[in-house]
Amino acid sequence: MSERMRSSIVLSLAVVIGLSTLALPLVLSSSDVEIYVTIGLATIVVTGLSLLMGFAGQVSLGQAAFYGVGAYTAGIMAVHHWPSLVALMAAPIAAGVIAFVIGVPLLRLKGHALVFSTLAFQLILLVVIENTSFLTGGAIGLSGIPALRIGPLAISTGKDYAYLVWVVAVAVLLITRNLTRSRPGRALRAMAITASGASAAGIAVESYKLKDFTLSAAYAGIAGGIYVFFIGYISPDAFPVTLSIEFVIMVVVGGIGTVSGAFVGAAVVTVISQVLTSLGTSPSLPPDLPTVLSLGVYALILIIILRLIPAGVVGTLSDLWKKTKPSASASGPVDTTGRSVLGPAVQAKDG
Amino acid sequence: MSAFTEYLITGIARGLVFALLATGFVLIYRVTRVVNFAQGAFAVFGGLLTFSLLRAGIPQGVSEVLAVLAVAVIGLIFGVITIAGKIPLLSSLIITIGLAMLSEAVAMLVWGSIPISYSGLAGHDFVILGAVVQRQYLLVLIVSLVLFGSMALLFDRTYFGKAMTACASNAYAAKLSGINVKRMGLLAFVLGGALGGIGGALLTPVEPMTYNADVSLSILGFAAAIVGGLTSPGLAVAGGLVFGLTEQFVSGYWSPSYDTAVALALLIVVLLWQARRMRLEGLE
Repeated sequence: MSERMRSSIVLSLAVVIGLSTLALPLVLSSSDVEIYVTIGLATIVVTGLSLLMGFAGQVSLGQAAFYGVGAYTAGIMAVHHWPSLVALMAAPIAAGVIAFVIGVPLLRLKGHALVFSTLAFQLILLVVIENTSFLTGGAIGLSGIPALRIGPLAISTGKDYAYLVWVVAVAVLLITRNLTRSRPGRALRAMAITASGASAAGIAVESYKLKDFTLSAAYAGIAGGIYVFFIGYISPDAFPVTLSIEFVIMVVVGGIGTVSGAFVGAAVVTVISQVLTSLGTSPSLPPDLPTVLSLGVYALILIIILRLIPAGVVGTLSDLWKKTKPSASASGPVDTTGRSVLGPAVQAKDG
Repeated sequence: MSAFTEYLITGIARGLVFALLATGFVLIYRVTRVVNFAQGAFAVFGGLLTFSLLRAGIPQGVSEVLAVLAVAVIGLIFGVITIAGKIPLLSSLIITIGLAMLSEAVAMLVWGSIPISYSGLAGHDFVILGAVVQRQYLLVLIVSLVLFGSMALLFDRTYFGKAMTACASNAYAAKLSGINVKRMGLLAFVLGGALGGIGGALLTPVEPMTYNADVSLSILGFAAAIVGGLTSPGLAVAGGLVFGLTEQFVSGYWSPSYDTAVALALLIVVLLWQARRMRLEGLE
């Protein structure tokens, strides 16, 4: 297979997936459209988190918190009669600004510090939300959120949201893909392989890590903003710590640091979670079973993938794909997914 | 006055349990560079296993010891899953998150979701400065102090302890001088498991244990450990007391809904202070 042929196969595969997902909402039932939207929103969040984990070598266990910040920002503004599009735009900005502020000092610490500080941030945020009822509705939640309007267009049905999410998810994937292939992307790759080496070559490592963290939070923020208009009601229960862990699992399943892995991970984990919920909730079964099943299965997926196929689904497939190459020309950054930096990326951290 | 004494004593007891978890964090981190997110799960298993053994008719004392030994074995298993073979550090860290979830699933399956407790040290409650105090608190104090003392002796006086310190300061040099670094890492997990198990067995009589208590125990144990930069067991004990007392006083004098939030805010402050210190000392 020639190089040209291979890249045209990859391109047509992307077009086929793009078009078929675009046509899907037309034929799905309303409950399936909800799953579709969930997958799309998760793809947006996971793209950012994957960028953070794969390139900056940092794990955030507070991604659901940034998702929540986005949701509450948009929700509160919409309830107070701000134009809904302005409210939606404010969601990623609020999440990004908060990430920037807490990221400035925290990213100086090694990987594990960010895990616990983002987790702490999320737990604090939940307490704050519960105790500021006048603004957030407290534990009862915030309801009466009006439908989203973009100019004259009212986005109200499930299908409308499916398309909105599709557009935003594709935009986020394209931005991220271009970013990883541009100068900042190359800097991030260099950092991923060796932070001190990159620093010695004049790359502002701290500043790139911070931008990466801020961007990942902004992605989560916009997803949260869309979520609040889609659901029309939010409470602190919608943003548990397990959701943050779920996002990490999606990254790992898709493959850390792979752009297309974000979509694969989000889709696979969301579908598994739906199957488990329907399996576990039957009147004859004990009420604890859905929780036991989902915790157990998530945990096993996470552990088994990291132990057996650490490159994730997309990473492993693309490795197999590369092995079919006739002449292995190792020169130049041919890797389209960022996968090749994974090994050193994670090994170089913290060592 | 009596309320103050009560907060003080419960704060110290909780703080000592955090310190036991923190010591486990420090042990495992020093040797393997892995921050074990599943540290709190050891305490959960310690408490819940003791409960089951007591219910099976095994006498008090024996039950606790058996439970702690079982948790040490769990620690070994977690260690093997986390660090065996060639595995990147980031993967090890994420695996411990998976192990914490898996522990919650197992604990919920076996023990359900209702908080579980058992009676602690028998005998009358006693009165200190106007506060009625359960005897169990005395046991928490004595056992933790004995443990911290013996840990200090272990590290300063024994070959094993010195080998562990050697792995912590320079794994490569330790390997060259014939120390099996991987095995030392697994031993750290065993000890970390036992310490967590003891903490859980001590805590459950005064504070009912649930399957999902591990997250708050892990994060506060980590908070205590980070006071000593994750490497100093002594400062970790001090850190445990700071966090235990903060939590109890906030809960008592302000509002129970803010106790964890304030403790976590303090954690972030400590992290920032550590970041600054590392930067100033060029330890990054």
